[in-house]
Amino acid sequence: MGGKALFGRYWKADSPLHRLDPRTKLLGTLALVVIVFLAQNFLALGFVALAIACLFPLGRIPLSQALRSIAPLSFIIAITALFNLFFVQGGAPLADWGWLRISEAGMRSALFIGLRLTLLLLSGSLLTLTTPSLDITEALERLLAPLGRWGFPAHEFAFVMGLALRFLPQFTDEFRDIRTAQVARGANLATSPFRSGPAALASLIVPLFASVFRHADTLSAAMDARCYHGSQGRTRLRPLAFGARDRWAALALAALAAATVALSML
Amino acid sequence: MGIVDFHSVSFSYDGRKAALDNLGISIEPGAFLAVLGGNGSGKSTFAKHINALLVPDRGTVEVLGRPTADPACTYFIRSNAGMVFQNPDDQIVAGKVEDEVAFGPENLGLPPDELRRRVTEALGKVGLAGFEQSQTHELSGGQKQRVAVAGVLAMEPQILILDEASAMLDPQGREGLMALCRTLHDGGFTIVMVTHFMDQAAACDRVAVLHEGSLALDGTPEEVLTDGAALEHLELDSPFAVQLCRKLQAQGVPVETCLGEGELIAQLQALLGADAEPVRCSKPAEPSAIQTAVPASAPEPLLTFQNVSFSYEPSPSKAEAATDDAAGDGWGNRPDEPWALRDVSFSLNQGEFLAIAGHTGSGKSTLMQLAGGLLQPAAGTVRLQGRDLADKRAAAEARHSVGMVFQYPERQLFAATVADDVAFGPRNLGLSEDEVDRRVQEALERVHLSYRDLKDKSPFALSGGQQRRVAVAGVLAMEPQTLILDEPTAGLDPRSHDRLLALIEDLHRTQGLTVVMVSHNMDDIGALADRVLVLNRGRIFASGDPLAVFSDAAGLEAIGLGIPRTYRVALALGLEADFDRIPAIGDVARAVAARHRQGL
Repeated sequence: MGGKALFGRYWKADSPLHRLDPRTKLLGTLALVVIVFLAQNFLALGFVALAIACLFPLGRIPLSQALRSIAPLSFIIAITALFNLFFVQGGAPLADWGWLRISEAGMRSALFIGLRLTLLLLSGSLLTLTTPSLDITEALERLLAPLGRWGFPAHEFAFVMGLALRFLPQFTDEFRDIRTAQVARGANLATSPFRSGPAALASLIVPLFASVFRHADTLSAAMDARCYHGSQGRTRLRPLAFGARDRWAALALAALAAATVALSML
Repeated sequence: MGIVDFHSVSFSYDGRKAALDNLGISIEPGAFLAVLGGNGSGKSTFAKHINALLVPDRGTVEVLGRPTADPACTYFIRSNAGMVFQNPDDQIVAGKVEDEVAFGPENLGLPPDELRRRVTEALGKVGLAGFEQSQTHELSGGQKQRVAVAGVLAMEPQILILDEASAMLDPQGREGLMALCRTLHDGGFTIVMVTHFMDQAAACDRVAVLHEGSLALDGTPEEVLTDGAALEHLELDSPFAVQLCRKLQAQGVPVETCLGEGELIAQLQALLGADAEPVRCSKPAEPSAIQTAVPASAPEPLLTFQNVSFSYEPSPSKAEAATDDAAGDGWGNRPDEPWALRDVSFSLNQGEFLAIAGHTGSGKSTLMQLAGGLLQPAAGTVRLQGRDLADKRAAAEARHSVGMVFQYPERQLFAATVADDVAFGPRNLGLSEDEVDRRVQEALERVHLSYRDLKDKSPFALSGGQQRRVAVAGVLAMEPQTLILDEPTAGLDPRSHDRLLALIEDLHRTQGLTVVMVSHNMDDIGALADRVLVLNRGRIFASGDPLAVFSDAAGLEAIGLGIPRTYRVALALGLEADFDRIPAIGDVARAVAARHRQGL
């Protein structure tokens, strides 16, 4: 369980970033992603990198935590960078082993793409590090709400996501208990559950599903008993409200985008 | 007119069998009502009618003067008659405590300031102030039920319904919830408590007993719970004190039937006069270190733990330094306890019945998995028949000779038929189909279930008590020599509880299995165990003969555990010297009667 280096983990702190409206952060992250793609040369990308690097201290997130949060996905960066290193050719050759050549263009491209991917992942982790999952689902609900006009069940969609997040740790625990019990009955699950035959697989999956249905039955009664009837007339303990801080954030992002475009044209 | 009125209510789930049958009852404002009944008596159905989760087929239910069948009144009724369910894990909607408590009032459409006020107030009332930001899945069972109560209180209802809300809690959590209900009742709440614990019912102001969907008995606890013959007919037990009173009266001891243990003890102390010493509960147990060291001369024990430590944390010593001073929030178990087990040594002899006591989170389940070779200790060694379980082959063999029945074992049932489920273990051993069949038959017989009647049934179609027996049979089919059971009677109604306990006794006494039973039910332990090991926060707190361990009532209470009720009475009357093992209820009655005759 330990839960050490998960992408998407929340970092508890009180900072200007934590206090932003989650909708601002969700849209802001999207804006950052666009800005990263707007940067067309090293100068512009370096500038964006500097800006993102400043956001972490602003969110009171230690650098180690920031890097750790993207560590599980760093292999994507490594593979993409290597691809570019060997397959993009042009300019002066830097190294040549016959069939394997590294050219200047390849080196530039690898560095550029590697940096760009790192920045994309860091922007994403910035959102999850500073925003509890429930707030993200609510922001999503509110941003998707206009789609309700065309019949999209925005509230239900977000609510189900919230419930899934709430039950995830519980089902993880239950699955572990079921597994332990079946191993104690001699099931050979130690290696791969898929190689140990249908009975062993069923011995894990059937009890888990039975448990899901059992939970769902009572849960729906418990929600009914507390007057749940969809989003209509429902208020929130922490209502979302845009404030001055959100306007400043939007302005800052716009300035960052403009500067990035300008630097890219140099 | 009462706050809740049932007028000849009938209800059926399937249109054939009546769950409620012409039920009429009126609950007065400010009542503290216990609703009792055997399985299928309709008590849960009754509770759901008050909350308008179900509406009657015939008759009417009125809550605060409004009919539950009128859809316009549904939310008024639900917000005024809040309901807490049995399983704490099923009814929690949100990941964060404050969101969970706010869920009800949010649905009522209250403004955020009011929501905040209600969340703070409700959490304060249930004794969880300051838990707003905690994650719900990290709480103990008792705490989760308190959060559930807070979620109901935040709707500011007038009626609180608890549907077996304490059935899955440990004694500590159960008492906490009961005390909370008492406080709320004193504050003016009407409380309806569906329960199958007689001692809880005895603490209420009014008791209603349902039988086959109708009201069978209704009155004060004194009127209802002392009527042994009527209760027996309704498949219910009497409260402990009433049972003891009846046994005493049969022995010719002139006591008046009473509900409370304290009251009975006072009567008996007066009766036995100055001879009997007053409460003398704190004879300290033998120091555990001496008791637990493995004696060199003893015959080779079956299972030994030598200085075993285990942790789920990667670096427990660091975590311990960080959390050590945060000890004891009054609820016993902390999910962040760095050491699941710390320096535990004991041995188990062939043919013994060892009980491991301790509340949730004391390390009992970890110990059990170490004994079965399912976990490896961080330090120390676990030996089974002299072989170190750190060796992979020894651990694999341990899984065959040690049978493990985990908590709520019926939750592992999966096969289409009972026979297939029980056969899962033997088939994993690679036995021939004939041998598998023989073992399935035998295992089902050993748990007193009929192979012929049940083998082709789906395990999911059986009653809770039967499902648990099938799960035990699934373990017995591995033909283990040792059986380890984790809270085998948890969540069962009193009848199924007694039957399962009798089964465990039979497996040990008649069928010769070495048994380790993990439990927080001290009465069960007192009735069966040859030896007790008490765990507290991962360490051995006490160990040895049950009489010696349970003599330290005060010490056990300090770590949130009780002692067997029969022995508690014996200690209070100064009769402990009369027993060489934890007495059964009849033994106590006989001893009191003997003293009484001497005194005459």
